Amino acid sequence: MQRTRWRRAAATLSVVALLAVACGDNEPATTSPTEEDADADATDADADADATDDDADDVAVGDIQFDQGVTEEACPNAVNPDNGCIYLGVLSDLTEGPFAALGVPLTEAQRDFWNRVNTDGGIAGFDVDIDEYTRDTKFDPQEHSSAYRQIEPNILALHQSLGTEPTEAILRDMDDDNVIASPATWWSGWGFEEKDRGLILEIGYSYCIESMIAMDYVSENIAEPGSVMAVGYPGDFGGDSAAGVEAWAEAAGVEFLGFVETAPNAIVGSQDAAISQILSGGPDVVMLAVGPAETAEIVGGSAAQGFEGQFMGSVPTWNPALLQTPAAPALEAIYLHVGFAENFDGESEAHDKLREARNGEPPVNDAYTYGWIQSYPILRALEAAAANGDLTREGLRSVVDGLVVDYEGALPDQVYGGDPNENVQREATISRPDGESDLGYSTVEAGYTGPIASEYAYDGPCSG
Amino acid sequence: MEELIASVIRGLGIGSTYALLGVGFVIIYRATEVVNFAQPALMILGAYFTAYYVFNLGLPFWVATLAAMVTMALIGAITERIALRPMVGEPPFAAAMVTVGVFIILLIVAFRLIGTTVITVGDPWGLERMDVFGIRIFQVDVAKIVISMVAISIVGIFLKRSRVGLAMRATALDQEVALAQGVNVGRMFGLSWAIAGALAALAGMLIGTGSGGVEATTAFIALKALPVIILGGLDSIQGSVYAGLIIGVAESLTRSYQPEFAPILGANFDVVVPYLIMILVLMVRPYGLFGTPEVQRV
Repeated sequence: MQRTRWRRAAATLSVVALLAVACGDNEPATTSPTEEDADADATDADADADATDDDADDVAVGDIQFDQGVTEEACPNAVNPDNGCIYLGVLSDLTEGPFAALGVPLTEAQRDFWNRVNTDGGIAGFDVDIDEYTRDTKFDPQEHSSAYRQIEPNILALHQSLGTEPTEAILRDMDDDNVIASPATWWSGWGFEEKDRGLILEIGYSYCIESMIAMDYVSENIAEPGSVMAVGYPGDFGGDSAAGVEAWAEAAGVEFLGFVETAPNAIVGSQDAAISQILSGGPDVVMLAVGPAETAEIVGGSAAQGFEGQFMGSVPTWNPALLQTPAAPALEAIYLHVGFAENFDGESEAHDKLREARNGEPPVNDAYTYGWIQSYPILRALEAAAANGDLTREGLRSVVDGLVVDYEGALPDQVYGGDPNENVQREATISRPDGESDLGYSTVEAGYTGPIASEYAYDGPCSG
Repeated sequence: MEELIASVIRGLGIGSTYALLGVGFVIIYRATEVVNFAQPALMILGAYFTAYYVFNLGLPFWVATLAAMVTMALIGAITERIALRPMVGEPPFAAAMVTVGVFIILLIVAFRLIGTTVITVGDPWGLERMDVFGIRIFQVDVAKIVISMVAISIVGIFLKRSRVGLAMRATALDQEVALAQGVNVGRMFGLSWAIAGALAALAGMLIGTGSGGVEATTAFIALKALPVIILGGLDSIQGSVYAGLIIGVAESLTRSYQPEFAPILGANFDVVVPYLIMILVLMVRPYGLFGTPEVQRV
């Protein structure tokens, strides 16, 4: 009888795991928050409730009007104790989600960015705080939504919302609450108002354009391909990337061998299926939109079995630790990385400042660089709203349409609103693995764009 | 034909790792009648300690592997003493829930230790291949098969031939009778956790030999051992070995041929295969291929 119970329990758990795999799309199952998190959240919730009461009505200090998410009182551990405080929320993947390797340095960079802004005097008499309302949502839309509801009464805007589906999960609430956000997601839909409700300050290119730039680069600088293939996670990341490869192939008159859907190793166990399809398809170029460990396995495994084509990797495919894996020689030989901005060692005023913030010490990976650069749109929006004398949520939202963001040279100036086809970024930095470099790769070409990527009619999301 | 054989060997390689994990589950179940859901966390910590001993302490790979097994055996035994021993006499379901708690705690520890990076275990095989009767196969697959089978054989011989093994089997058969015969049942519980911890560490090392290394989330791969133990029988070491190999090969063949011959089933159908096999077997042999059939008096 005892064993029957166990079999039933194990079988039930297995079926639950099976359902999770079937329904989970590209997200691996997440675990419940820890007790420590729960305690911390409970404490924060109490604090939140107090703060909400304090912030119920509009307040004006000097010439600036403000309400939710902005206080006359200084920030906790304020750099400028005489300044008021602007609270920004961060909903990121900080521990066990699939993109924690990006979320952690991204958030660290944003903390350093605001520390620098505060050290320079803040914004119109206010310091900016992102620590108080940073939450780990583990790339889980439900956690994301729950955390958003918890911090919403106390923030002016979201400084980071990581992941397309998690961000989509809160978009309607954000619209109702007039909360704008800087996304840590490069889905092509964010460029269009019918998708983002004018709330998302997307940064750099989309995965879709990224793929086109990557294919253009191979075509112009390595060899014109006869066939191309996309390998990635289904959904906004891999799906958007694959849509870009397909659109490029159509424009270039090159055979598109299809989108090979895979998933993180935690779900599928290994990338053997993807490797098998790459080997049987024999494409000249493969665009990868997967995680770092999966990248190494696919590139290393394919090369070991005789594949001689070129791999191009999307932003999240790289981690310096890959040079310690057995796949390192293959990565050095047939893999190039595509990023929306120059690496940590790039040349711009913004890069100088981010290196200074770290005293020249390289970060764990280039998500730090991206996190720093991603902070500019919110900074510019806050500056514009403060210049208008209105740091309320409505005031902040109103400056987004037509906002011109100066990235201090890290990216070309970006304009929000208007025609996406005119305003979308179509430049990338191409890098190759390099054991001599601090972050394991070095820039081959910055600010690159190709003929198909630059001519692509960007009149709707590529996917989704 | 060459592709078929290569795919089978690849499946036997990963299946051997599943078998190692399954045997760990079975040893604890036989001794304590508790299914240990902490096994995946023990596995990923095993991979971490192997990497740590190789790259941080500079130990040779094989020494590091043994050291990681000893470390995880100690962690397993300590876990049993602290978290599971107080549950003796309580319903096994309650004890199993404790192992779920242990799993979450150890997994958080693993996430903290490994962080957001990718670790490798410094194995000597990498992506090297070898010729076997004219067929090119990865050395790592052969290594997985050989190491797993040797380890399981050693455990089998230990259980069958040694006095302590006899005591463990006596405990598995009837705890009260074993106690009456002078067997230190508590020590047997601890020993079963130590053996399962060591096997999990070895499985973690073998999982870490992949070309891409491992991340903390790789722990969830060990959940594949659940269909393995159901298929083989909860109380059968022999069953776990056969079931692990069957599931590994079935997965591998599905990966190789399903996209070509049955694309309608969609991407990554191989993930579903172990569970389908498990459900089918449960329908015809509810106690698994090698499990002990239950006799219920009515």
